[in-house]
Amino acid sequence: MKRLAGWMLASPATLAITFLLVIPVAITVGLSFGSPGQGDWGIVQPYADFFASGFRRNVLWRTFTVAGWVTVISLAAGLATAYVVARCPPWMKSTLIVLAVFPLLTGVVVRSFAWLVLLGREGMVNQILQATGLTDGPVAMLYTPGAVIVAMVYIFVPLMVLVLVGVLENIPEDLLQASSSLGAGPVASFFQITLPLAVPGLIVGAVLVFTASFTSYATPHLLGGTRQMMMGTFLQQRALVAFDWPGAAVVAAIMLAVIVATVLVMTRLARRLNPMAT
Amino acid sequence: MTQPLTIDRITAHYGTTKVLEDLSLSVAEGELVSLLGASGCGKTTTLRLVAGFLQPTAGAIRLGSKDLTRLPAHQRDIGLVFQNYALFPHLTVRENVAFGLKQRKVAGPERLKRADAMLDRVGLAHLADRLPAALSGGQKQRVALARALVIEPPLLMFDEPLSNLDAKLRIDMRVEIRQLQRANGTTALYVTHDQEEAFSISDRVAIMHQGRIMQLDTPEVLYQRPANAFVANFVGFENLIPLKVTARNGAEVTAITSEGAALTLSQDQLGPIPNAFTLATRPDGLQATTQGGAGLPAVLGLRTYLGRAYQYQARAGGLSLIANGPLSQPLDPRTAVTLVPNPEQCAILKPE
Repeated sequence: MKRLAGWMLASPATLAITFLLVIPVAITVGLSFGSPGQGDWGIVQPYADFFASGFRRNVLWRTFTVAGWVTVISLAAGLATAYVVARCPPWMKSTLIVLAVFPLLTGVVVRSFAWLVLLGREGMVNQILQATGLTDGPVAMLYTPGAVIVAMVYIFVPLMVLVLVGVLENIPEDLLQASSSLGAGPVASFFQITLPLAVPGLIVGAVLVFTASFTSYATPHLLGGTRQMMMGTFLQQRALVAFDWPGAAVVAAIMLAVIVATVLVMTRLARRLNPMAT
Repeated sequence: MTQPLTIDRITAHYGTTKVLEDLSLSVAEGELVSLLGASGCGKTTTLRLVAGFLQPTAGAIRLGSKDLTRLPAHQRDIGLVFQNYALFPHLTVRENVAFGLKQRKVAGPERLKRADAMLDRVGLAHLADRLPAALSGGQKQRVALARALVIEPPLLMFDEPLSNLDAKLRIDMRVEIRQLQRANGTTALYVTHDQEEAFSISDRVAIMHQGRIMQLDTPEVLYQRPANAFVANFVGFENLIPLKVTARNGAEVTAITSEGAALTLSQDQLGPIPNAFTLATRPDGLQATTQGGAGLPAVLGLRTYLGRAYQYQARAGGLSLIANGPLSQPLDPRTAVTLVPNPEQCAILKPE
């Protein structure tokens, strides 16, 4: 009886996930394979084609590096911010967290247009650079991987702060006091106690940010342009501009593989770096 | 290497609340002094001030000739044992013990040698490669002790180190702590709310109440000669009888209660007796008898059975007292008796 009730309670969500996620993903992955008799590679011929193309390899590599940089920068900035926030008195902590979350309240399209205004040839940043005499002419910032990285860091740092404040607050005060009573200064305590104990949180944050930036579409579309295509924008172009459904399916399947591999490797890493993590 | 600790007239606040006022305390070289009191009495605050986790608003803390008052915690060189052990969960037992040596830049091999030697002393050499999560409570506290001792600190401090352990282990551990502290001759400050623990382990005990030290003395003196009503009550003198001296005859003093009942007490046994004082006794030290004699006339109330004696609620005039009576003769409520104090179980409290 109990088991049945459990299944019934879980069924709406299970059905929704099955029909709206599992089956479509299965169909997409199925679509990405070729027919057995085709080419040298048989059913994986579409993947061979993908990796044979320098342009596509570039798109994949660019996506990797952009997502990688976004993750590393967000981790560093997020950890530093979270460290300060976690040590604040409670009233200040909640104020700071609300402030940190503010950027998340703007829609992605509005935010990207704001970046267009800021980073354009006649944009605010270029005006300031020229007015202060740091550069002679306008610097090309828009439609570079740099613009995409900056815009994504802007949105993922708050996310990282939220994750890491929770993690840092869970490190018992006793441990830091013990560490300082044993002669470790604030810096030594941070690197020997706080940081190792924050590793599980850092990994959760890194996985979140890496997967979100690896699969992002709107930001690279608006700020990266067509010459700086990433996997998300390339997928859209294949599916909706070129109507190359099998090609789009290959891109989607590769993205899926990268994400799954990232999650697996990172959780394995978390266990290695911190034996306390489960 | 070991140093005396001097706490000189410190005052401390949490926000605007004053938690310690003008508190002074000295711990001699190699001495173990306990701070004993209920929660909120300021004992942990005192320890945190000495450790450097809190700053006093006035006063000074010195270790030997070194002024600790404004020194950051990590430069104070104090071995600290926590109630919750505070072992680093990501480091092995050996790495935990070696942590303090690592901060002191002791070279790797030397560090491990000393950590292992200390683990051997606390009997945990075989667990050196375990993580703290795999240890029992007693083992964790031994590791914490080894970690604090291995840096050979001039001062050791204990913050309720045994309160998370079960009763039997508590007794074993306190003996072990005392032996290690004695063997190293380290000055020690020990915080606890457990009277038996404090009395059994300490050279001297400071009984604290509302941010002040009520009495600081050896366990024997505290137990037999409390200086004031608070301490008397704390160590089990449940009967407080106000008396006035009416006659002195050499060492013999006769005093009466407000109801006029007279007691004769000997200054040879109880020390000098002022003209107005309070006689404090434990229930054991006030015997209920129907034989008459010199004592307080009283009427018995409820009787309870203690195994070694009967205990009675009693009223003597306006006083509510607790007295014991022999097992051979259970007495019923409303029996008129005489309560005879046993001078060996009495203390004289001067008026405050």
